[in-house]
Amino acid sequence: MAKDIRKTHSGVAFQGGNMARKSLLLLLAAVLILPLSAGGSAEADDGTVVIWHSNSGVIGNAFDDIVERFNSTIGAEKGITIEAIYQGSANDVLTKVKAAAAVSTSTLPDIAQLDATAALDMKNSDYLILPSDLGIDTSSIMPSAIESLSSERGLLAIPFNASSLLFYYNKAVFDEAGVNPPRTLDEFAAIAPLVGEKGSDGSVTRYAFSGVPATYELGAFIGAQKGLSYMVDGENGHNGIPRSVLFGKEGTFRNFLVHWKNLYDTGFVSSITSGISTEFAAGRTASMLASSSNLSTVLSTVDGRFEVGTAFVPMTDEEATGGVNIGGGAMFSFSSGDAVKTVLDYLVSEETQLEWAEKTGYMPVNTGLYDDPDYIAFLDDNPLFRVAMEQTEASNPKVTGVWLPSAYQIYYSFQSEIRNVTENGKDIDKAVEDMEAAVQKALDDYAEQNIL
Amino acid sequence: MKEAKAYVFVAPAAALAILFSFLPLGKSLAGSFLRISQSGKVLGWAGLGNYVSVLSDPSFLSSIRNTLLFVVLFLPLNTAITLLAASLLRRKGRLTSIPESIFMTPLAFSLSALALIFKEIFRGRVSIANRILGTDMEWLEQPFTAMAVLAVMGVFLDFALDFILLLSAFRNIDRSTIEAAGIDGASAWTIYRRIEIPEIAGMLRITIFMALKDAVLISAPVMVLTEGGPFRSTETVMYYYYLEAFRSGNRAAETTIAVMMVAFSAIIMSLASRRRKDA
Amino acid sequence: MRRIIRILLLLLLSAIILFPLLYALSASFFTKVDFTAPAARFLPSSPSFRNYALALGNSHFSRYALNSLITASLTAFLRTGVAASAAFAFTHLHFRGQRALLIALLATLFIPSDAMLYENYITTARLGLLDSYPGIVLPSILSASAILMMAGAYNGIDRDVYDAARIDGAGDIRYILTMLIPLTAPVTGAVFIQAFVSSFNSYLWPLLVTTRPSMRTIQIGITMLGFADEGELGAQFASIMLITIPFLLILALSRRLIMNALSGGVHG
Repeated sequence: MAKDIRKTHSGVAFQGGNMARKSLLLLLAAVLILPLSAGGSAEADDGTVVIWHSNSGVIGNAFDDIVERFNSTIGAEKGITIEAIYQGSANDVLTKVKAAAAVSTSTLPDIAQLDATAALDMKNSDYLILPSDLGIDTSSIMPSAIESLSSERGLLAIPFNASSLLFYYNKAVFDEAGVNPPRTLDEFAAIAPLVGEKGSDGSVTRYAFSGVPATYELGAFIGAQKGLSYMVDGENGHNGIPRSVLFGKEGTFRNFLVHWKNLYDTGFVSSITSGISTEFAAGRTASMLASSSNLSTVLSTVDGRFEVGTAFVPMTDEEATGGVNIGGGAMFSFSSGDAVKTVLDYLVSEETQLEWAEKTGYMPVNTGLYDDPDYIAFLDDNPLFRVAMEQTEASNPKVTGVWLPSAYQIYYSFQSEIRNVTENGKDIDKAVEDMEAAVQKALDDYAEQNIL
Repeated sequence: MKEAKAYVFVAPAAALAILFSFLPLGKSLAGSFLRISQSGKVLGWAGLGNYVSVLSDPSFLSSIRNTLLFVVLFLPLNTAITLLAASLLRRKGRLTSIPESIFMTPLAFSLSALALIFKEIFRGRVSIANRILGTDMEWLEQPFTAMAVLAVMGVFLDFALDFILLLSAFRNIDRSTIEAAGIDGASAWTIYRRIEIPEIAGMLRITIFMALKDAVLISAPVMVLTEGGPFRSTETVMYYYYLEAFRSGNRAAETTIAVMMVAFSAIIMSLASRRRKDA
Repeated sequence: MRRIIRILLLLLLSAIILFPLLYALSASFFTKVDFTAPAARFLPSSPSFRNYALALGNSHFSRYALNSLITASLTAFLRTGVAASAAFAFTHLHFRGQRALLIALLATLFIPSDAMLYENYITTARLGLLDSYPGIVLPSILSASAILMMAGAYNGIDRDVYDAARIDGAGDIRYILTMLIPLTAPVTGAVFIQAFVSSFNSYLWPLLVTTRPSMRTIQIGITMLGFADEGELGAQFASIMLITIPFLLILALSRRLIMNALSGGVHG
């Protein structure tokens, strides 16, 4: 382009210059003002209680309803507003909480809904406000839910969404095969060919089971062995900082792997780790393990295409009588004050827990409900929701979820090792050894970084 | 006076460079030799302990392997497809604007939208991918195929820009040499290989190094598409860094990986610029 | 023969490139059951705009889109501004430490921001910028390659223009805004568009520094709408189409411009 042409262009642009500068100035002004308007309300000392939660979909809608009811009733009376913010999965909420706490406690929410993977970090944090500090009465809360969150510091959080692992099965398929849900993994291996299905070309068209156990499932598969087994010392990390791995030397992981491989070798187990409920809803797997809290969602996705059944989780072997642990989540608080206490009291009240349980499949944590006629009537109408409660009652309350550092990473390591055994022919003892080493390394790193 | 004015003009850039590049690098470098608690307290001197610990962690080593596998799958595929697309359209014709527009559409996709679409295309056994390809695979459930899907998604993310760069490189070639060769009776293929490819080699190298840098640093697509699964097989180095830094609060891993990645990308970048000078 | 192969290859490539887009479009009309049908579907069983109604009915959706637009524009403006100002100083002025400063700025090219994620998060949070537009935008404003590109372009401009402007009494800022930027429009455009696209596409950083729905960008928002968990995958695809279509329109309308800008930049 010739230079003189450019000059003519710039002559025209000269008039536009003022506008360009003005818009730039406006933008700069906007940058300066925006943080004030956006960040100004971040601190919730004005009667707003911020809750970071992990409820989405059907469960999220139920939670929103509960929050709305508070804001329009008790909250309106007392001048308290709950601001519920969805932050992704329970893991995502934990990530957010840790990131916020790394800077200053003022960026933390008032309450965060977290699960067992958070417990160890929370227990060792200096920003957690214990329920006892808030003066919350926990006498009417389900004992095994309390046990699941108890540590040497006392109760860490208020159980809110209690669930347990549950065996979901396609009742139509099981009935047609004339079998009941399996009591043990060996029994499962025996009936797997009956509930599974192969096409004429020999490929599996319906699996008996889909999924690969991870920390959550192993809480039951290992925890229930011999009536009660811990995965790590300090009562699964609930009592002090865990320092050594137990599932290796006590032989519990090995025992599980032996029985699991036996089931896998039937050829009717699919090792998928995502989209399992979709496969179940589409009738391509006859059973799965999932949290009892998924019940509403599962029923809505199946949409009446077949009858869904729920049953106790199969036991690893005949001696594995401990049952399942309470999972799900709890409300951890990071600020004190009456507003926070009022909100927590509301969340575990009979009324709230009834609505919550009916809409989701979580077990109500308020024991006052157990003889409540409304709740009993609901269970009579919806027997599937009853199974989780019965299973929990039949379980040893000392069987608790394991509290580990790097919990997210270990979750995947378990799946990898199990798959190595089932699919890649890895020696079981070697797999146990490697898994033990991986968890031990996480424990050592954690101790190195957090014990003075 | 005149000098002071110059500093004012450079100041914003310099301030940002210090705040968001040099300061964090310094902090990471220092931190990588210290023992730091989750809450950020310095507990003591670690020497090379953090490096030893990270480099002996099997999951970090496997994240390196995963990243390498991604690079090996992604880079040739990306280069081949973008080069093919640009080569096919290098002569402007009456209708070339139609495929040109089509090849630019991936620019309209944002990362998470594309990841969600890919998730659905390859989800489960009864996926649209299986129906089209006539396969019966759970793409995202097998380590290798999950990585392959990730690589294909990577190509979608980089394709449009690389295509535009290569296309314009082709079209900026001086026509006279090509025409002269044509008169001399050289076949189109010979002209393409002997004249055009060497002419665009510089730009090709730039796009390859840009893609390499993207590939080595990949994390967000992993996060949305596979979350590192199945079985941690798509956990890349930078996704591992994210998990350790933010999820596990492992400051030893965070600082040492940061330092190692800076060193590594410095090596790639200086190789890239050296080769650019050669060209 | 060669022509036919070329056309076939182009058709094949176009089909591959367009497939995700077309599939998403089709899936945005799927019913809930279409997603778990025994055989994967290409087309919806009974198309309706229900999914679009669901997507638009989500209270956060438009806010997410607006936030993305604001942060991407801010990044683009500020990156262009900061780079123009620095490039001007390096090409038109002389000062002590000029070379060292330039080298220092270019050294940031070797420091990938992804590896500084954690430390930058801490810095941003300490500055009190979590949940704010500046917090989302600040770390990505500086781009050494943008400075390099613009300095390269400014070098090519005759210094007489600058001297003439100064005689006219035009200040340096005015000179940059009214002379340099218009004269080097293709490079400025390239920097601007690249900044806009990369900011619009960024995922991890906005995810980390935002905790409130009111500040989230569409990239994070779209994964947090919760439709997938409700089994409403169709609504998820409807939201994807809603943010993709405007971009497709922009692309279709200004294809030449964008092509020239993106390629022009790397040459300069």
